[in-house]
Amino acid sequence: MMRAIVLIPGDNVATLIDPGSAGEDVRLAGNASGTVTLSTDIPYGHKLAIATIAAGDEIRKYGQSIGLATADIGLGEHVHVHNVESLRGRGDRQ
Amino acid sequence: MSTTFLGYERPDGQIGVRNHVAIISVMENVNSVVKAIAAAVDGTIAIPTLFVRGQLGDDYETTMASLAGLATNPNVAGVVVIGLEPVTTGELVARILPAGKPVEAVNVQLCGGSIEAIAMGTRYAARMVRDASRQFRVEAPISRLIVGVECGGSDTTSGLASNPAIGAVADRVVAAGGMVVISETSEFLGAEHLFADRAPDPVVRQKFIDAVTALERNVLAQGVDLRGSNPSKDNIRGGLTTIEEKALGAMSKAGTTPLVGVLGYGEKPEIPGMHFMATPAPAVESLTALAAGGCQIILFSTGVGNPIGSMVSTTIKVTGNRNTAKGMADNIDFDVSAILEDGEAIAAAGTRLFDYTRSVANGELTTSEILDTRETSISRFGLSM
Repeated sequence: MMRAIVLIPGDNVATLIDPGSAGEDVRLAGNASGTVTLSTDIPYGHKLAIATIAAGDEIRKYGQSIGLATADIGLGEHVHVHNVESLRGRGDRQ
Repeated sequence: MSTTFLGYERPDGQIGVRNHVAIISVMENVNSVVKAIAAAVDGTIAIPTLFVRGQLGDDYETTMASLAGLATNPNVAGVVVIGLEPVTTGELVARILPAGKPVEAVNVQLCGGSIEAIAMGTRYAARMVRDASRQFRVEAPISRLIVGVECGGSDTTSGLASNPAIGAVADRVVAAGGMVVISETSEFLGAEHLFADRAPDPVVRQKFIDAVTALERNVLAQGVDLRGSNPSKDNIRGGLTTIEEKALGAMSKAGTTPLVGVLGYGEKPEIPGMHFMATPAPAVESLTALAAGGCQIILFSTGVGNPIGSMVSTTIKVTGNRNTAKGMADNIDFDVSAILEDGEAIAAAGTRLFDYTRSVANGELTTSEILDTRETSISRFGLSM
């Protein structure tokens, strides 16, 4: 089964260390256990949501905020630049 | 013994892990002379410069100090400085002389043009290489190492595997009394609060925070989104989504020891322990600064792959990405993908990497040395006038 690493309890994303396709199950490893079904194709090394995330919520990895969701993100969905924005180095917002 | 390595003792007491004769350009208009001499003499390295003529103020000072830092790096046995005119060349030579190593200078305007300069420089270089070859390695403690930690072509495996493995080596070097330098200011955006808390000295803490704040202000003043520059396009392809995510992973290269010093671009650390050096994030500029800062070895973590190494500081390419370990094997020195593939403990991978690093210090060549995928680029902080 495909594997995904959860770094810190409470993180809402896991890093996939195998390439995954929609409908496949992923086994969570690291600081979580259980399985999550991918709702989208996700490349090797990319992240999936391991909780439902609402637009505006923090994306948490390493036990820290790595940005904010720009859309509602469902369990098993790809989490990346299409639905997460950074809060740092944002001169475009000035 | 795992507490020693074999290196070349320099007149100033530093220990090199290589015995290069450096051919250094002090002005961009004489780079062709540098390249010709380095091509003619085995055992030399070419260090061209992109600017110098017309630079002024702090920008000029950074460039000259960095060139001098590269020349006085312990991996360099002797230096041939190539310049256009004697005043600027003399300034650089004066900065190198205190290190006590052999220095010769050639000025193209004074010696009859570029062909004569190549001839003169080649004779100096040939004599220096012969002299350097008479020197033998001596046993030295790990405490004499200055190790740079760097990442380039990062992806999410960097923060999960290769960076923490490098951090484990950093901890061992610091525990042995050595120095470690982590660079790349923008790669602390979103992690700076955690790294700042590692500084016992409030002055050091504030200096670090100020460096990160100044960089972010610059990005804001430019009105641009840092994303796309950092994380870069290949970082994003590798799964890194924001600079915060990249920074939290990048920081693990620094292991767990206290932050004891904050350095300017190319500045040499002076006390044992973990240092931060303020540099731009692109690897060549950062590697050049670490080399100017005296690092004999740089541990370079890569995820999606990057072939580059420092010309002066022996660079070790480490990956935790199984695809890169195979797909870019020609440019990878050390594979820690077992951390993700087989559950190898970070500490165990760190021990393997530490032993390999000692072997490289003792003389084992790395891919960037063998394939000469090396480059030098001193960052530019001001405009030409």
